[in-house]
Amino acid sequence: MAETHSLQDMRQQAAVAAKVFIQRDYTNGTVCQFQTKFPSELETRLDKQQFEETVRTLNNLYAEAEKLGSQSYIEGCLACLTAYTVFLCMETHYEKVLKKITKYIQEQNDKIYAPRGLLLTDPIERGLRVVSCTSVSVLAGIYSFLSSLSHVSTGTWILSQTLSSCVDRGHHLRRQKPD
Amino acid sequence: MPGFSGGGVGGGVGGPVSAPPRPFRPSRYVPVSAATFFLVGSTTLFFCFTCPWLSEYFSSVIPVYIAVIFLFTLANFCMATFMDPGVFPRAEEDEDKEDDFRAPLYKTVEIKGIQVRMKWCSTCRFYRPPRCSHCSVCDNCVEDFDHHCPWVNNCIGRRNYRYFFLFLLSLTTHIMDVFGFGLVYVLHHRQQPDTPHAAVTMAVMCVAGLFFVPVAGLTGFHIVLVARGRTTNEQVTGKFRGGVNPFTNGCLRNISYVLCSSQAPRYMGRLRSPPSVEIQPPFLRPPLSEAQLEAKVLDNGIQNDRHSARSKSSLDQMESQSADAEPPPPPKPELRYPGLPRADTEESSLLTDAPPTPSMYKYRPAFNSPGRNHTALTHPNKMIRGESLDSPSSSILQSSRQPSYRSEPSSLDGATVVGGGVGVRRGAGERGEGPGGPGGTTGGVSGGMSGYSLTGRSYTSYPSSLILSTGGSHSSSLRSAHTAHNPLATLQSEGTTDTSYKSLANQTPRNGSLSYDSLLTPSESPEFESAAHELSPQKPHAPFPFATRTGQPEVGSPSAPLQGYMSPFLSAQIAQQREGQLLQGSATFSSPHRAYLRAVSPPPASSAGPHETQILLLHNHDSSTRGPRIPSSLSSSPGARSLEPPVSPPPRGLSLGKSLTYSGEAGPQHKPRPAGGGTVLGGGGAGGGQQAPQ
Repeated sequence: MAETHSLQDMRQQAAVAAKVFIQRDYTNGTVCQFQTKFPSELETRLDKQQFEETVRTLNNLYAEAEKLGSQSYIEGCLACLTAYTVFLCMETHYEKVLKKITKYIQEQNDKIYAPRGLLLTDPIERGLRVVSCTSVSVLAGIYSFLSSLSHVSTGTWILSQTLSSCVDRGHHLRRQKPD
Repeated sequence: MPGFSGGGVGGGVGGPVSAPPRPFRPSRYVPVSAATFFLVGSTTLFFCFTCPWLSEYFSSVIPVYIAVIFLFTLANFCMATFMDPGVFPRAEEDEDKEDDFRAPLYKTVEIKGIQVRMKWCSTCRFYRPPRCSHCSVCDNCVEDFDHHCPWVNNCIGRRNYRYFFLFLLSLTTHIMDVFGFGLVYVLHHRQQPDTPHAAVTMAVMCVAGLFFVPVAGLTGFHIVLVARGRTTNEQVTGKFRGGVNPFTNGCLRNISYVLCSSQAPRYMGRLRSPPSVEIQPPFLRPPLSEAQLEAKVLDNGIQNDRHSARSKSSLDQMESQSADAEPPPPPKPELRYPGLPRADTEESSLLTDAPPTPSMYKYRPAFNSPGRNHTALTHPNKMIRGESLDSPSSSILQSSRQPSYRSEPSSLDGATVVGGGVGVRRGAGERGEGPGGPGGTTGGVSGGMSGYSLTGRSYTSYPSSLILSTGGSHSSSLRSAHTAHNPLATLQSEGTTDTSYKSLANQTPRNGSLSYDSLLTPSESPEFESAAHELSPQKPHAPFPFATRTGQPEVGSPSAPLQGYMSPFLSAQIAQQREGQLLQGSATFSSPHRAYLRAVSPPPASSAGPHETQILLLHNHDSSTRGPRIPSSLSSSPGARSLEPPVSPPPRGLSLGKSLTYSGEAGPQHKPRPAGGGTVLGGGGAGGGQQAPQ
């Protein structure tokens, strides 16, 4: 516990990850779109073109998810006919595209953003309201390592406590045995 | 059911922050149980007693057809009941850090050329997307919020609107079928009316006939809504009454969007993908000072205190800077208690002990058990935070009071005179909301309804005269004190700095324990519009007196303020909801007045007398004397929208204000703030006063 506490202090002290939030673009109504405006905080770290390309692709993917096409129509009819039990076995069109989006974001992270110390989060985790771009620093990496260490150490401590209590109980029983 | 509806507890693995577990309230389940009982029971009886004869006399297709329609109805009913309506998960801490206590309460976006306001939700900690609204019953922000339906005990939002709509359609069809075939049976068995089959069939017909009127009315209403591309929330609050609906794409596209779009994804309970790079939880705020840490006493107060602590320091700065720029806001208590002497030393009181905190009036005295009276003025935070009963330090309280004191209804945005003080206050980058907001909304006001809040509430900006009369420089209200201050501010005739800080808004009690009682107390939901709006569909008490009083669809009447229904469909819905409310709880029956009062606004019990009377007068059908505005509201044509929802940050939980607004609005839509109602209702009246003349 002391370790985590110190980690928190370190976390606070270190000037770590700034988070940039890319907000939704509501100019076309409630269609899911994100602003392609390049945030100034990323100016030094990322190429504007790449960023805009990423956001534009995301927007296209979301547009595809929300499209009123034949697939969504057929899905709706099928759902009605089966009293919506089809949702138990089938994945909706939107969910399929969301998976595609998650994969795309991961791929972008691996290829473009992680090498620059940035991390994009999937907006679905925040209710499709923002895309957060976290700037990952070396220190954060150290923190994660140390925190994992602390978890290991506390786990070990707990284990040792448990074992010692068992041993104590065993001793106790053995002591009681001879009557 | 509860687990599905709204944002239950927790999410999936590592899911986003969700609402705290809400207490179990059995009264919420009465309407849905009744609906299920009647639906299933009547249909079962119909199948058992009427269908055998129908199948042999006509053909067996009939029971099959009826069974299919019934199953479809039931399926849609279950989907509407159990499906997540589109609840937004609470925003995490990191999102909030950029929007500090100086961040505005409203953010304006332009949607297809129309300025739409996004309000800061202090519970969920984000700016509500357009068409999103916070449901006070479920204590969640819901995407494309339509309304909270007591019959399914769930919010109707983006994800389950389709099922709700289809449920209505299929239920209407089913009722007609049952009634029709029952009638055929009865007519054929005229000679033997005393057989159990005939008796049961007649009983089923009665039930069907009874439910047909409200259900059909509601169905028709929603058909109109779907065709126009509006939500119930928008329709009821009259958002697009005079303007253009930016969310419509034409009748055909609207219908196909509702019926044919792919099922929207759920936001809650999602498995979070483990980050490829381990990043610590985003608590990356600057370390808190000791004082601020000390202030973190209470759970609910953590952010509040921190914000208030921060605001204290910044406020001191601001005070010094702005003291000359604008007159300090007048003491809020006056709004509530006109008899009380105004605090003369406003200028000095801002930095001294106790300007009465507007936030105090946001929340109902009953809500904060510790003495809600003037002595409580010294502990504004108590009020602000609702359940947080003890403020850690009076200094912090005072400091927090100050910003809350300054928060003003967003309605004032329209005519915000962004004074120097205000400008100073707008430290962070979000200043655009301030000048931009007022500018935009002012234009909107003149344009008529063009500026409307995004938060499911149509608020037109206040008439500039109103704002100027307050003499205040009302910057775009900051999030913090967006609640009750607004109505109060409008009532004040002296200058008020209305800057609703987000931090103050965040101090609103978000205990999530919203019972109907709490619904009745608008104070608990800082977002007035959500409270008022969500209250209106469910509010049992207010409409009830009217329901009993007249069958008229005077939803223009004060009860209507909760609903704002004027059309027959609306009245049908009102009737339906009244029925629901009738079922909802004895509390409703026992004290409609009290309930109404509570719902309206929290006049301190001590000085409840004149205010309550006024409120009663306005809203209690039983009272012999009625407020002057009632008749006008009642006489208003059904077409008139009953309310012009308060423009600016709706008076926190001041449905009183809202109801006043509604009642006042009923007739002339652009009625100037009624003087009588305003003074009487004090803070609540502020809401009423906020009728936004176009």
